[in-house]
Amino acid sequence: MLSQAVVKRLKEIVGEKNVVTDKVGLLTYGYDGTLLSGEALGVVSPTTTEQVVEIVKLMNEHDIKLVPRGAGTNESGGTIPSEKSVVISFTKMTKIHEIDTENFVAVVEPGVINFDLQVELAKKNFYFPPDPSSFKASTIGGNLGECSGGPKCFKYGVTRDYMLGLEVVLPNGKVIQTGGRNFQSEPGYDLTRIIVGSEGILGLVTKVFVRILPIPRAKKTMLALYDKVEDASQTVADIVAAGIIPTTLELMDNLLINTTEDFTHAGLPRDAGAVLIIEVDGYQEDMDEQVKTIGEIASKIAKEFKVAQSAAEVDQIWTSRRSAFGSVARVRPSYGVNDITVPRSNFPKAIGGVLKVAKDFGVTIGVVAHAGDGNLHPLILFDQRNKEETETVHAAEQALCMMALDLDGTISGEHGIGLVKKKYLDKEFTPAAMEAFRKIKRSFDPSNRFNPGKIIDL
Amino acid sequence: MSNVNISKLKGIVGDAYVIDSPSEMAKYLKGQGKPAVVVLPASTSEVSSIVKLANEKNVKLGVGGAVVDTQGITGGIAMVMSRMNRLLEMDQLNLVAVVEPGLLHKEFLLKVAEFGLNFPPEPYEIETSSVGGCFAIGDSDSKSFEYGPTRTFLLGFEMVLPTGEILEIGNKCIKNVSGLDFIHFAVGSQGTFGIFTKLLVKLLPAPAAKKAVIGTFASMHKANAAFNTLIKRNVHPTRMNLINASLAKNAKPGTEGQLVIVDLQGFKESGKNIANEVASVLTLGGGSDVKIIEEGAEYDQVINGWLKVRAELNAKRSRTVEFVVGPMKMPQALAQLEALTGDLGAYPGVIVEGLLGYVCLALPEGTDKLDLATKVNKLAMSLGGNVKGLLGHKLKADVYNDAEMWKQTTSLLNELRQQFDPKGILNPGVSLEA
Ligand SMILES: Cc1cc2nc3c(=O)[nH]c(=O)nc-3n(C[C@H](O)[C@H](O)[C@H](O)COP(=O)(O)OP(=O)(O)OC[C@H]3O[C@@H](n4cnc5c(N)ncnc54)[C@H](O)[C@@H]3O)c2cc1C
Ligand SMILES: Cc1cc2nc3c(=O)[nH]c(=O)nc-3n(C[C@H](O)[C@H](O)[C@H](O)COP(=O)(O)OP(=O)(O)OC[C@H]3O[C@@H](n4cnc5c(N)ncnc54)[C@H](O)[C@@H]3O)c2cc1C
Repeated sequence: MLSQAVVKRLKEIVGEKNVVTDKVGLLTYGYDGTLLSGEALGVVSPTTTEQVVEIVKLMNEHDIKLVPRGAGTNESGGTIPSEKSVVISFTKMTKIHEIDTENFVAVVEPGVINFDLQVELAKKNFYFPPDPSSFKASTIGGNLGECSGGPKCFKYGVTRDYMLGLEVVLPNGKVIQTGGRNFQSEPGYDLTRIIVGSEGILGLVTKVFVRILPIPRAKKTMLALYDKVEDASQTVADIVAAGIIPTTLELMDNLLINTTEDFTHAGLPRDAGAVLIIEVDGYQEDMDEQVKTIGEIASKIAKEFKVAQSAAEVDQIWTSRRSAFGSVARVRPSYGVNDITVPRSNFPKAIGGVLKVAKDFGVTIGVVAHAGDGNLHPLILFDQRNKEETETVHAAEQALCMMALDLDGTISGEHGIGLVKKKYLDKEFTPAAMEAFRKIKRSFDPSNRFNPGKIIDL
Repeated sequence: MSNVNISKLKGIVGDAYVIDSPSEMAKYLKGQGKPAVVVLPASTSEVSSIVKLANEKNVKLGVGGAVVDTQGITGGIAMVMSRMNRLLEMDQLNLVAVVEPGLLHKEFLLKVAEFGLNFPPEPYEIETSSVGGCFAIGDSDSKSFEYGPTRTFLLGFEMVLPTGEILEIGNKCIKNVSGLDFIHFAVGSQGTFGIFTKLLVKLLPAPAAKKAVIGTFASMHKANAAFNTLIKRNVHPTRMNLINASLAKNAKPGTEGQLVIVDLQGFKESGKNIANEVASVLTLGGGSDVKIIEEGAEYDQVINGWLKVRAELNAKRSRTVEFVVGPMKMPQALAQLEALTGDLGAYPGVIVEGLLGYVCLALPEGTDKLDLATKVNKLAMSLGGNVKGLLGHKLKADVYNDAEMWKQTTSLLNELRQQFDPKGILNPGVSLEA
């Protein structure tokens, strides 16, 4: 419980309606995209950097921790209040300060929803390349907190690559600016890069300078259907070997084809073993040649290959893919999202590994993957109310992580570590690397005030 | 007296690779400091043993690719990485290379090209740079609009920490958010967090076609106006650079006026059309001798001309000012700059990276660098930019009149450095103070 004095002071800082302390109100902020939950002492939603500074100072005086939160869609337990803490929600900092298309920069507050930024940019024929499938709900602050990926990473990279500068409130309440509006503004160390992906444990981001790009002149979306997942991964390897860098190489297996069909009726054949969504973009005059090469490569193994002929067809394909996570909820009440990544060449082995885990543990697993990146999201379907089954699922998830590490991969390609994967972190990193993380955390936050318990313990 | 134990060093790397006669040491050193010894390790474990030895005796240690900056290491050890120059692996399936840090950047490029691949980062010192130095400096370059800055191409590394401990991090996955991002944070840390001993480098397929369009302009302003036209037309070449008249001759002998170099790397079909579009825009914008270059040798000559001028400016870094503005603000920036510098065509040196809004000025004799940088920074800030790097950051804080922000930033930088190097052993000459 927060003392009356603290609550009063919080309300003075951010206004009455931006402080939540009632039980029901707190409940909502105890969850995120995972199945974990916790309870915060309170929730406070600042609207300015100055308010954030005041909140940090107040919390420091009372030795209360802060858990930063955007939309709470993360899949890592990154916003679960895990110690005596107040949630600082950025959902009311939603100003788009500036869109400067001439100079390829936008300046936004952290609570801006990715989609809302895209809509504003699209009016000017621009876009912000990072677009996690959750882009309709997730915030720029959350995207940078996790260094989110999405379907375009193979060509365009991840959130990290589009962050030019940040305004950050440090755990001591001081404000710094990292980077700026271009590639050459970092002060000695690349502070922006260490904040990106730090899941709120180093600083609170209150302003973001992002790099924006013009929408490519042309784009082609293709669909290839396969009998087996392994066949699809062969196409991926062959496309890369041909020197083509598609924007997108997304894969769904038979289970996901069926669950998304139930949901969207996009017309994917339910008996297909896998579908691959392939997209290329660039100049109009380069499209035909690439589509032709990709078509030849895919047709060697695919049972069907087609090029979307209209915007409506493209939309339909993407609706399927974007509804993938949600669609499985119809099959079983709960699902666990995994996020393992392996070097592209080990992708077929990883698929084999997932099948083996499903068999060994007797669980149902569907796979969606950013196949070009070697990033797999095996979705394990189960019923959380069944305790025994839930434990089996956790064991299976651990097995998936270890399988990825055995294939020289990583336990997280884009969702982050948070609480969920913290226990496996020392399987991926040597003691020296783990200590390097602690050195960084100690430099920013020696008293462990921001998002304690996430990623590493001090 | 120095605390360096020469015989122990010889025990680690072998007699031949410990050099302590001043005349022989000279070719490995630059600057005014007087280290006691130059040592050339051949392996990670040798690097680690040397650093541990330095720790025991509290001896300062400086690192360099082929030549070590001696600032701050008088009486200490200068470590040269040039013997660790192997390409350990070229993984075409994953588009990844594993290299040792002492491999020269230019040699690495040749090997990468043999495999039909591309490594875009382009350090200023293109002739002498090592791959390790390239990531330790971690800059952007005139191709970064298209390919991203240097850090984009690092997936992991092995590093000997200032304590001598060996740290390995990263993997061949192009997407990886596990742990904190020490991988990219280490890029640009100038050897203060540790010594790279192995680098896991991301590569790209080589572009199918390369072309260049060149032209000369009577004024810098007209050339920049043409750049703006291209950006407005949604044409984003691989580079779009400008060299002022005083330097243009060094890039391309016989050039009269300011030289524009537009580089187009990409596909065959669009390449042709874009080259024509660029050529027309340059011509209409007042360019003369506009020419599309398709032939490989001539293309290389043009690009190498640019790189040569770039390196010449870097050689005089204490006499240059570098700044950035929004790319479309460049015409305004140069107009305002001329109020400070006079005719830019006649200035000792001006180069512009049009897509990145970057300018490097070579100062005339007698110019007060800090004074000019302060004025230039104010100008740049009003146009969405700043003076480059650490200095720019300090000047920015000055403009905000925010001494506290600068103090906070510096103390954070120093705290980070101290966490990694509590004894202050590694590269003490590298300053984070500006
Ligand atoms: C259906 C679905 C699909 C998804 N698809 C993808 C996908 O394709 N790719 C992908 O990468 N992820 C995906 N995700 C995961 C998730 O959406 C992303 O991680 C997203 O970026 C989180 O944004 P958020 O606003 O919800 O942040 P939150 O979940 O609220 O926070 C994420 C992290 O950032 C920190 N944080 C938030 N704001 C700030 C701030 N202002 N300052 C400092 N730290 C802050 C939090 O403490 C937390 O650690 C998906 C999730 C769902 C539910
Ligand atoms: C003060 C200064 C600033 C410069 N700034 C730029 C710039 O912004 N952009 C640019 O392109 N060029 C810059 N240069 C030129 C730069 O040195 C070269 O472009 C080149 O890339 C560096 O490679 P090198 O092998 O010559 O490194 P060196 O000149 O030997 O070293 C450069 C830096 O990297 C460190 N270093 C070298 N090898 C390792 C290693 N294996 N592990 C860890 N650290 C290592 C050194 O200690 C030193 O701090 C700068 C040079 C100097 C002296």
